[in-house]
Amino acid sequence: MAKTIIDAHNVTKTYNPEKVPVYAVQDVHVHIEEGEFVALVGPSGSGKSTLLNMMGGLDEPTKGSVIIDGVELTELSENKLIDFRLHNIGFVFQAFNLIPVLTAKENVGFVLQLQHMPKKEREKRVLSLLEEVDLEDKIDSKPGELSGGQQQRIAVARALASKPKIILADEPTANLDSKSAANLLNIMAKLNKEENITFLFSTHDQRVIKKARRVITLVDGKVDSDVQQTPT
Amino acid sequence: MLFQIAWRNIWRNTSRSLVVVSSIIIGIWAGIFILSFSWGLYKNNINESVYKQLSHIQIHNPDFKQENDPKFTIPNSDSILKQLESDNRIASVSSRVIATGMITSTTTASGVTIYGINPVSETNQIGLDQNLIEGVYFGSGKDNEILIGQKLAKKHKLKLKSKVVLTFTNVNSEIVSAAFRVGGIYRSKNISLDEVNVYVKQEHLRELLDLKPSETNEIAILIKDEEQLDSITNYSKTLVPNAKVEDWRQLAPELDLIIESFNLYTYIISGLILLALTFGIVNTMLMSVLERIRELGMLMAIGLNKRKIFFMIMLETIYLTLMGCPIGLLMGWLTVTILGRTGIDISMFSEGLASYGFSSMIYPALDQEKYMIIVTMCLITAILSAIYPAYKALQLNPSEAIRKI
Repeated sequence: MAKTIIDAHNVTKTYNPEKVPVYAVQDVHVHIEEGEFVALVGPSGSGKSTLLNMMGGLDEPTKGSVIIDGVELTELSENKLIDFRLHNIGFVFQAFNLIPVLTAKENVGFVLQLQHMPKKEREKRVLSLLEEVDLEDKIDSKPGELSGGQQQRIAVARALASKPKIILADEPTANLDSKSAANLLNIMAKLNKEENITFLFSTHDQRVIKKARRVITLVDGKVDSDVQQTPT
Repeated sequence: MLFQIAWRNIWRNTSRSLVVVSSIIIGIWAGIFILSFSWGLYKNNINESVYKQLSHIQIHNPDFKQENDPKFTIPNSDSILKQLESDNRIASVSSRVIATGMITSTTTASGVTIYGINPVSETNQIGLDQNLIEGVYFGSGKDNEILIGQKLAKKHKLKLKSKVVLTFTNVNSEIVSAAFRVGGIYRSKNISLDEVNVYVKQEHLRELLDLKPSETNEIAILIKDEEQLDSITNYSKTLVPNAKVEDWRQLAPELDLIIESFNLYTYIISGLILLALTFGIVNTMLMSVLERIRELGMLMAIGLNKRKIFFMIMLETIYLTLMGCPIGLLMGWLTVTILGRTGIDISMFSEGLASYGFSSMIYPALDQEKYMIIVTMCLITAILSAIYPAYKALQLNPSEAIRKI
């Protein structure tokens, strides 16, 4: 039996709790096992990004707990949480993913440098990651010189750099054309299969949803459905 | 890597960074220029007072300083002068006989201080020969020649060869009057003194005062190296144990006050310039932080801790300052060096300034210590200015920052 990598228990996020409370996420229970490829879907404002942020330790739940690989995130101090993210979670955002003043190679290597990986080892890993996302020829290009799809692939390579257990992606294909989106999804699916990395991504893109093996639907901050499916 | 990111970040908006660098350059240059100009002005005033009026050291009979009566003299001044002249640390020595009295012309009368001087030795000290605008420096060879200031000449409507009468009290408390002819009219850098100081030959005044041949009221010493001031003052005290030996700081404490107030002035001017600079830097860096909120949020999300984000923003400001500081310093130093040689002619305003003892040519000057103060204050300002924008970045919550439009 696969081990539970994400355990969100009774998670609630309320904005403005003392005046007019707005429930972004309400009593959500989600268990995700290692190696799953999960799509978090729902209409705008359903709480997808909020739940994803809480699972990534970027936001703190008002109530409930988030346990990642046995570590209760709400119990970590701010610095320990940042360190935890650095070593255990990879992020891919919708936009503004990369550091604009660094080249593709430097962007991917940035996280490794924060982990104090020696230069030779780091360069080797960066090159292999860029090969995995088919961008070895863009090694010295800055984000401004790359297309949206290429930028997202660099972001995936960076998210993978620290060999995280989980990659959280918030609408990763939202700004991409069909071809770039399909390319990105194929890379993510391949990494999930070959390296057993758990992928959790919020989306309302049907192309992404079809690739997922499990689809969790949120409506008004609550889990409406949680179904397994065969990816197409 | 943070050093590299910070460096590249400042060139994301080249024109904005150049504006900050330029304001730092102008700020430092302006600070250096204002301070060097002021110091040049004060130094000129101090030098004028020390070299042309006071000398570095003066020796008096202690009672002369209190009573201002020529009967209180330094005896055996000739031998004292000889001993002082033989000291190679001393540039020049002169003795003076001094009386206060009244000058009367055909038009009016006024109070004056009458200096009986040795024309030869005083060329190195009071330097009246260089300030003479009419006549020849004790050129008539007669005993009753008098040199007066231009302002006094105007007041009494006196010309060369005009006759005046000096009236004063001699050492026997008798009133003495003597006629003199104007042999020269001088104009010094201190117009207010030009109205009250008159100069006659020492031997003649000594006779009129009924002093003994080797008696004088004042011995003035100019030294070669100011560093030696204390040791020569002490040496003079041993030579004339019963006399009052004072250096220029004791003789004119207001000059020392000028130096002290200039030091304070350094901090105030630098502070004001740097305060203006602070607002510029804070504004620019704050803008730079606010337009990068999403990026900073992303950096926090992927594992860059707040301490490093704070450091990165501080680094950006420090880089800008480090670019501006040396250029501003170099420009300031060049300005001071060039103008220090050529001088700045402020003759347009010199009439007013001259009455306070200032020259019409100002030679800007600034010692190394003041340069260091400006640089240090500039660096402190830059670091302080960066704290608020960097602190603002620390307030960001990564999840909110990433969503920021």
